[in-house]
Amino acid sequence: MKSTRRAVLMGLATAAAPFVATRSWARGPAPFRFALTPVFLDNDAAVISALRAALAEGMGQDIELVQRRTYQEISGALLDGSVDAAWTCGYPYLQHKTELSLLGVPVWRGRPLYQSYLIVAKDDPATALSDLRGGTHAFSDPDSNSGFLVTASDLARDGQTPDQFFSRVIFTYGHRNVVRSVAGGLTRSGSVDGYVWEALSSAEPDLTARTKVIVRSEWLGFPPMVARADRMDEPSVMACKAALLGLSATAQGTEALKLLSLDAIEPGEDALFDGIAARIAVLSGG
Amino acid sequence: MRPLPRFRNLPVTLRVPLVMAGLMILLGFLASQSVLSALGKVQDARLSETARLHVEGLSVALGPSVLRQDVWEVYDILDRARSAYDGQRLLLSIVADERGRILAATDPRRAPVGEEVAGFEVGAVPPDAVRMTGDPVLRVAAPLLFQGRQIGQIVTELDVTDLLAERRNVSMWLLFGNAAATALLAFGGWLAVAKILRPVGALVSAMDDSQGAPRPIAESDIPRGDPGLSRLISTYNRMTAAVESRAEAERRLAERERFVSLGRLSSSLAHEVNNPLGGLLNAADTILSYSDRPEVVRQSAELMQRGLSHLRDVTRAILDENRLDRVGQALRPEDLEDLKLLFEPEVASRAQRLHWNVEAGLAGLKGLPAAPVRQIVLNLLLNAGAAAGQHGQVGLDVTAGEGQFLIEITDTGPGLGQADLGRLLASGPLPPGGGVGLRLVHDLVSQLEGEIQHDRVGDKTYVRVTLPLKDASHA
Repeated sequence: MKSTRRAVLMGLATAAAPFVATRSWARGPAPFRFALTPVFLDNDAAVISALRAALAEGMGQDIELVQRRTYQEISGALLDGSVDAAWTCGYPYLQHKTELSLLGVPVWRGRPLYQSYLIVAKDDPATALSDLRGGTHAFSDPDSNSGFLVTASDLARDGQTPDQFFSRVIFTYGHRNVVRSVAGGLTRSGSVDGYVWEALSSAEPDLTARTKVIVRSEWLGFPPMVARADRMDEPSVMACKAALLGLSATAQGTEALKLLSLDAIEPGEDALFDGIAARIAVLSGG
Repeated sequence: MRPLPRFRNLPVTLRVPLVMAGLMILLGFLASQSVLSALGKVQDARLSETARLHVEGLSVALGPSVLRQDVWEVYDILDRARSAYDGQRLLLSIVADERGRILAATDPRRAPVGEEVAGFEVGAVPPDAVRMTGDPVLRVAAPLLFQGRQIGQIVTELDVTDLLAERRNVSMWLLFGNAAATALLAFGGWLAVAKILRPVGALVSAMDDSQGAPRPIAESDIPRGDPGLSRLISTYNRMTAAVESRAEAERRLAERERFVSLGRLSSSLAHEVNNPLGGLLNAADTILSYSDRPEVVRQSAELMQRGLSHLRDVTRAILDENRLDRVGQALRPEDLEDLKLLFEPEVASRAQRLHWNVEAGLAGLKGLPAAPVRQIVLNLLLNAGAAAGQHGQVGLDVTAGEGQFLIEITDTGPGLGQADLGRLLASGPLPPGGGVGLRLVHDLVSQLEGEIQHDRVGDKTYVRVTLPLKDASHA
């Protein structure tokens, strides 16, 4: 009898197994969707997979990293809920200040701050923005702080717009592309994220060696990780925040931060972005 | 036109290998041309394929970006396509919009955004028509098609330095290879032909070395393995023997000629001897009859002395003409006097007038051998005498000066016929019939390196013989 009961149980288990498997595949918890722009994570599969692994470990759940071409697309996706959190830029964060909240701000070289660089080709005699009048210029993204807002607000202070000041303006949708554009001679100058330029100078010294920095902006708030303000209490968003802030405490997190040339991610505060806000004011006021 | 005769003058052992080498070079040249042409076709096809794939690939990738006039996207695609393309074939790719303004190029410094693309289209051809022209950089231009319509243009510069170098290398290898093969084969050919033609060379040198008297080739040198050649050489040897025997016959004939000329003189000389004999006998009778009258005896004795000394002179002249031991002796004025003595009876017998003028003294005759000059003068005089006929005129003028010895014989005969002139003036074969006297004159004058001229003025025939006078020490 005993053996019969076991046989029946085995039979039941066997019959149930496909059902269980199908259930978990169909109805398992949806992965957390975290959006990135290729603005500074350009074509680097190693960085993306390390970050994904570290976040997934920290959150204890599957995570999907979603890449979009522009900040505008990221902002739209965040607001309509198609992504749960995003690593964006201070400028779009401030543009949607009321709808978004900070998850964390990366710490680079000891501070949650970075600069915007104005770059030209290595042999270019220009030393200031005013020397670049009538040339061609590469911006990164119209919603990028370092890759647009800084240069545009500097011009706005003089009552000019980029289209008036430069003979031609192009958007490359990537800080690395701005460096390529200037290094390759497609444009005379470019506005680039200082953090990206510095990271590239170690990763691709041949590329940055063909450019030089002629103007560095003041220190501004580092591009933050954000989520929709009304979803901050959701467990997955809270888990994400915790995972981000705890990255420097785990081996995988440290590895990912190292690949990103970052020290840690700290909670951050809105005051970090006052400099950017001031520039937005100049641009809209001008 | 000059090198051809020179080439003909080359020995056959050199000419045949040269001709062979020439043909080898021609063959090598034709073979090289066909290899290079095949290589050129392969290279052209490769180039054309490269250009076509490049343009087609770019058209597909660039279409939407060009439509949007997105400078960065176009540049990004061109730049990534360039770095993905192995090799350095594509020097520059330019993409222009439909108005012909540059949207982007792989080298924006050379082709800045917004400039006219027309400047880069100079000399550009469609991808299918691209050919190696010898230029290291070739330009290809093609319309940029998207969804079936032209939205712009693509201009590409192809670097074909490597293909040119490949072509040059192949050319050099062909050149050196063919040159070496040709040299080797020409040398081998020369050896083989030289071996085959060695008997011919021997034949040629035997004919050349002989100075007019062909030398036979030794039996041991006749190649028995080559029937044609051995027959040729045997024929040549028989010919040399025939030539030699002919020369021997001519020599004997010339030897006899002296006797012939004396023979022609014999009847007049017989008179010359006979005439004084009557006078001498009369004188002897007178002495016998008037032995007591000393003045008559003396007169008769003087008469006999004169007649006998004349006979002695005549016989001495005849003897001198025949003496073989005088061969090689120098000419003296007495030799000409002897000739006059011998010839005068001939003149007398025909009642001819003789003009005899010898101006050359002993000094003027220096270096001339006696025997041939006597033979020349005597033969010409006998000929002139015979030609002048009864009551005619015969003349001899001998002068010397300025290194020349000039003999001029004149007669009032009807002139020399064509056959006689042929004998006297030319070296050609003797026409059949007729004597050998004039030919002997010609040969003797040739031996003395002199010249014969013939002239006919009015009713007079002039034959002038000019002999060069050599240094006396040679005589």
